[in-house]
Amino acid sequence: MPRSLSPLSVPYRVLQRGGGLAIGLAFVLGGGVNLPFLGPAGPLIVLAVAGVAAVALVGYETAYVRRFSYELTADTLDIDSGVLSRRSREIPLRRIQNVDISRNVIQRLLGIAVVSFETAGGGETEAQFRYVTFEEAKRLQKELARLKRGGTADAEGSVGEEPAAAPTEPESTELFALDRSELAILGALSIDFRVPGILFLLVSTLGSTVVSSYLSAVPGVALVVLAGVLFAAVAVVSWIVGAAAAIVEYYDFRLVRSGDELQYERGLLQRYDGSIPFDKIQTLTVADNPLKRHFGYATLYIETAGYTPGGSSGSRGSEAAIPLAKREHVLDLVEELEPVGDVDFERPPRRARRRYLVRSLLAVGVLTGILYAADSLLSLSIPWWPPLLLVPVAVLYAHATWRHRGRWLGEHHVVTRNGVLRRKTKIVPYYRIQTIIDSRSVFQRRLDLATVTVDTAGSLSLGGGDAAAVDVSGATADHVRTELEARLGLAVDAYRVGRAGIGIEDEYEQNGDDSESGSRGSESASLDDGESGGRSIADDEPGVRRDSTAEDESSRSGSPVDRTRDGQEGEDPDTSRGRDDPDD
Amino acid sequence: MNRLHPRIRLLWIGRSLLTAAIFAGIAFGVGRVVDPAWLPAWAPLAVFVAFGGLGATFAVLRYRSWRFEVREDSLYLERGVLTRVRTVVPFVRIQHVDTSRSPTERLAGLASTVVYTAGSRGADVSVPGLTPGDADDLRERLKRLAIRSEGEDAV
Repeated sequence: MPRSLSPLSVPYRVLQRGGGLAIGLAFVLGGGVNLPFLGPAGPLIVLAVAGVAAVALVGYETAYVRRFSYELTADTLDIDSGVLSRRSREIPLRRIQNVDISRNVIQRLLGIAVVSFETAGGGETEAQFRYVTFEEAKRLQKELARLKRGGTADAEGSVGEEPAAAPTEPESTELFALDRSELAILGALSIDFRVPGILFLLVSTLGSTVVSSYLSAVPGVALVVLAGVLFAAVAVVSWIVGAAAAIVEYYDFRLVRSGDELQYERGLLQRYDGSIPFDKIQTLTVADNPLKRHFGYATLYIETAGYTPGGSSGSRGSEAAIPLAKREHVLDLVEELEPVGDVDFERPPRRARRRYLVRSLLAVGVLTGILYAADSLLSLSIPWWPPLLLVPVAVLYAHATWRHRGRWLGEHHVVTRNGVLRRKTKIVPYYRIQTIIDSRSVFQRRLDLATVTVDTAGSLSLGGGDAAAVDVSGATADHVRTELEARLGLAVDAYRVGRAGIGIEDEYEQNGDDSESGSRGSESASLDDGESGGRSIADDEPGVRRDSTAEDESSRSGSPVDRTRDGQEGEDPDTSRGRDDPDD
Repeated sequence: MNRLHPRIRLLWIGRSLLTAAIFAGIAFGVGRVVDPAWLPAWAPLAVFVAFGGLGATFAVLRYRSWRFEVREDSLYLERGVLTRVRTVVPFVRIQHVDTSRSPTERLAGLASTVVYTAGSRGADVSVPGLTPGDADDLRERLKRLAIRSEGEDAV
């Protein structure tokens, strides 16, 4: 049976649309703006026009809300909408990536909410319900998840694991909640870098004359002090704004696992309430910076193909993220979402470090050069040598770049880590690989190095943030390339058989890994800095969790683990290539 | 490993000569209008030769570096002069395949095949310099292979 929007949406929509108009009208009438061309009856005419507009608006919004109907069927979401031009849409449920509910303060008072459905295609939200009651929004979210489970089971026959994984009313387990102290730390670490720009703009447009006349009146020393005070003030303001924004945005952040979906809630004034199906997760990113590393915190981003980065509300792409949590916490959650197991990063070869050294020294050199040129050409009395003091920093930075860079091929995931000041560890399930790109610049070729980039459909990757194994040796790059391709094939095979190659059901990470032959095999916080390295990928493979594999097969029999190994070592190319059979 | 049609060199050289001609035109215009003292009369010619020569060299080198292969499970491309890029596009990840012929390509009697994936790099994968027949063949072949490999959605 088709349903319609909440009747309360009519007044809300009218107020929302008409609010601006009303304020404008009040300004025109109250401010006594002169309307000579309308004659003495001017205000009356304005009022009449406004009255007609108001009636039209109410009429339109009523019609819109009455026309809008939607229905959840077994495998589609049907929407009929539109007043003047009608539109009927059917969105296949399996194509829906995320369902988000948002409510601002007024909507919360009225008990209504906006529901947005995201799909992978297109640059914007696929469908939005403005507005339904909050209960209905929650029902939609739940019902959709339920239908999707039922739908996949129907479509793919006896999938088997579905009922076990998802009982009719899936139990919810809280995965993560941002407590007060974490929120405080998050606020403290959030600086809004846009504020200085805005302040600068304000000052330069409003107060330029005042400032310049003031500036000419004060002596030089005072000027320096003033600049210092100003700088400090701007810094404090940006910090306060950033902290306030972060606290408002992430107040009472909760991440709940419900069946095979991830649900989050956050926000002080505007509440967000969203769901992410596990099987839509493209990439997990653990990000940190030196400060967070030092205090043992990290940030987690969960990427699906549904959100458009830089979209309407700025942070669309990272809405499904843990803003800040203890590192172990984040790693536990990663393990829960994508059981990567112990990650043992392998660093680039040492000769790569030379590149970084040359690069950072070049930066210092260029800085010195600019200062020197400015010094000699413009005859300013600035000394040109201070940048040279940065040389040790450059050396350290080069070393750190090398030390933090790494890649790892696990059983189901490829993990890469890059960056020092903003370090990102990307976890990509083999199944999510779209294309594999191996590029070697002239300078890389001189040292026989290569960069292997793994392209996924994740939305954050648009900014060039794809997972990449940077500066691996040429031979390794060849190996990684073929390896990734083979493993994608196996993962797709496993998925096609109906047993997802990646999945939350995997419990193997709890089986420990005593068989790990590495030098630090038993350390569990493996995404932390590893000092080992130096082992080749080929070495990694045979020893990894051999004991757990057997149990694995009973619990998730289709895992590509065993087969991966075959393909990996090239013993049985038929297993990995057999899927070319058209009957498959 | 397949290579591109040799005529693609002419196309690329032609394009770079066109670019060079535009730059030479700018140099000529500057010489005519602004007429700076340091700009000799032969500057446009020098600009044309420099840019054209560079472009032509790159075109030839690019042609030499280009290889592609339809492998068992994937399309493999290798190209690039300064940065050597090798791309692997698994058939399971192909969303759709196009052939396209730009005006210059039509002039040279060539076509390109463009492969789309759901990846964030979208239309990054295109094979230029095919004869129209070959381009259509490649498209059909990739299409068949993509259907046969029957990828589940990764998104």
